[in-house]
Amino acid sequence: MRISGLVGASALTFVLTSGAFAQEASLDLVEPIAEYKIYVSEKLAKLVEDTTAFTDAVKAGEVDKAKELFAPTRLSYEAIEPIAELFSDLDASIDSRADDYEKAEADPEFPGFHRIEYGLWEKNSTEGLAPVADKLLSDVKELEGRIASLTFPPEKVVGGAAVLMEEVAATKISGEEDRYSHTDLWDFRGNFDGARKIVDLVRPLIADKEADFLKTVDANFETVDTTLAKYKDGEGYVTYDKLTDDDRKVLAAAVNTLAEDLSTLRGKLGLD
Amino acid sequence: MLDPKDLQRSPYHLNRRRLLAGLGATAVGGSLSGTVSAETMHHSVADAPVANAASQLDSVPHLGRHQAGVVNARPANGMVASFDVLASNADELEALFRTLTERIAFLTVGGSVPMLDPKLPPADSGLLGPIVRPDNLTITVSLGASLFDDRPWLAPLKPRHLQRMMRFPNDALDADTCHGDLSLQICANTQDTTIHALRDIIKASSRQMILKWKQEGNVPVITPGPDGRAESARNFLGFRDGSANPDSSDAAEMDRVVWVGAEEGEPAWAVGGSYQAVRIIRNFVERWDRTPFGEQERIMGRTKMNGAPLDRREGSEFEVPDYASDPEGKATPMDAHIRLANARDEASKANIILRRPFNYSNGVTRSGQLDQGLLFICYQANLERGFIAVQQKLNGEPLEEYIKPVGGGFFYTLPGIRDASDYVGSSLIAAARGA
Repeated sequence: MRISGLVGASALTFVLTSGAFAQEASLDLVEPIAEYKIYVSEKLAKLVEDTTAFTDAVKAGEVDKAKELFAPTRLSYEAIEPIAELFSDLDASIDSRADDYEKAEADPEFPGFHRIEYGLWEKNSTEGLAPVADKLLSDVKELEGRIASLTFPPEKVVGGAAVLMEEVAATKISGEEDRYSHTDLWDFRGNFDGARKIVDLVRPLIADKEADFLKTVDANFETVDTTLAKYKDGEGYVTYDKLTDDDRKVLAAAVNTLAEDLSTLRGKLGLD
Repeated sequence: MLDPKDLQRSPYHLNRRRLLAGLGATAVGGSLSGTVSAETMHHSVADAPVANAASQLDSVPHLGRHQAGVVNARPANGMVASFDVLASNADELEALFRTLTERIAFLTVGGSVPMLDPKLPPADSGLLGPIVRPDNLTITVSLGASLFDDRPWLAPLKPRHLQRMMRFPNDALDADTCHGDLSLQICANTQDTTIHALRDIIKASSRQMILKWKQEGNVPVITPGPDGRAESARNFLGFRDGSANPDSSDAAEMDRVVWVGAEEGEPAWAVGGSYQAVRIIRNFVERWDRTPFGEQERIMGRTKMNGAPLDRREGSEFEVPDYASDPEGKATPMDAHIRLANARDEASKANIILRRPFNYSNGVTRSGQLDQGLLFICYQANLERGFIAVQQKLNGEPLEEYIKPVGGGFFYTLPGIRDASDYVGSSLIAAARGA
């Protein structure tokens, strides 16, 4: 309690000494949030559809087909991760990694996309994966249901742009996410698209006041696009190991900078 | 800029008075000489550790002919952080150098942290509170060979001896802790100050460079002896390290040993700089602790307790061994570490280097052993004649059984930031543009 009192006091001091205060949160956000909810719903519908096909292939023992569907299926999930992560139980059962479990890959509790990925690529088999596939599909459907009835908190939506970049910066840029299939560049695509969508939705609200900021952010998204474009292969991307060291550095710097810049987006929109 | 009154408005004064009171009580009580016993200090559990009140305000000038952090005394904490640089032209590299200079100027001088709208992320990590005190901070900027090699517009300007650190026979280099385009040596009285500086710089330079590896270390703080002369700190092998270092307060000696002068045949932009060799040297301390005391001394070539050369065991670490009178190595084995490193003859004078190491302690290896050792840092005017030559003399030494270099790199420490209008690396940028 004493601490919050102190924080309040320093904030007050600030108000008195500086005029450069961000604008207050406004009703202007209602429309972007509503639009974002539509975007998320569409992604979820696609995720359920794709996951159904993916898990069907796993259960039918079609290893090659399942491998082919793995990365594109994840794309929709990666784009809406900040919202999906509001339900941490589902996020853990859909998208956790072997490191999250004490016995890693051998842990019977290791679930979801990456458990199936491990079986498909490391064992080249679907053996024992049917119950994992069933659980994954039911989790994805559960996620769709829960999000449908969710009121989107504006600070989570706007903050989600930075969250996506933080995730890439902290645990994806190294290629550790899809460590068996090396389809990380697909995930990057999903994460960047998701972040950019959020920026685009709120763009009209800050276009005048924050023109320089948007210019920098756009330039970094552009850097990401041009870099990823070099690795395009058909509808998707080549494997992560093809990414050159130089391009990995370019992506890392762009991601870190986007994370820095987008971390101010909430404040710029007056969200606490 | 910093108001000195701001700096002094600190809780440390209170602690300092307490510390002095404690010292007084000790003297009266006549307990252990020169130490403060626990009973005489009245600490509440919640109190921060008592720092030397003056040390928070210690500062090393960041402007001058040479960079700070090379010839000034080591403070208790040091770190080397290595980065990959993004810059693809002179303008971008200049922007990075200017960013670094601006942060160095703020962090090493100190001042108030800017307060932003609380809805925005804070400008500063806040590790040091609302007022940053200099705390003896130095930040030394050096460049790796890869920065030059990977950029055709910069390659012709590479210092003559700058090269990617080679693998020496006893090395087990880990790619994750080697090399880099740019190194920062960050030193300060407290670890918080070095970490604060690193986080500040990472935040300010995210679009310009990416952290590759870092190693932190520290130097045990020592109370000067009765004659007032500071002794060399001990490394994790329990031996004094740095005894035969050249005198860093002797400017002429430093010009000869450390700083690149016009006569070295280096590119003109590099004059005033120095070669920095960094080595992360793991010590197998469990095994060392199971090695007979006499053997430890013979391996090092010094007595363990006082650091004296083995041919004058009752002396001090500052005495010079007389190898000429011991040609068969009866007192000091021919392959003792200090004898191989510096034979104390005329020829060896060319190989003198200025060592500035820190001890590091990282954690536990998969085998359940301590991962600790020496963050070795040295400076010299000529890398080939300095570190590389010395290491070649050491190759195969008996000490190798107990040490394993696992990381580090060779870098070129840029000339100093001349004045407030200059920036670190300006001579290199001017040369790159003029070429």
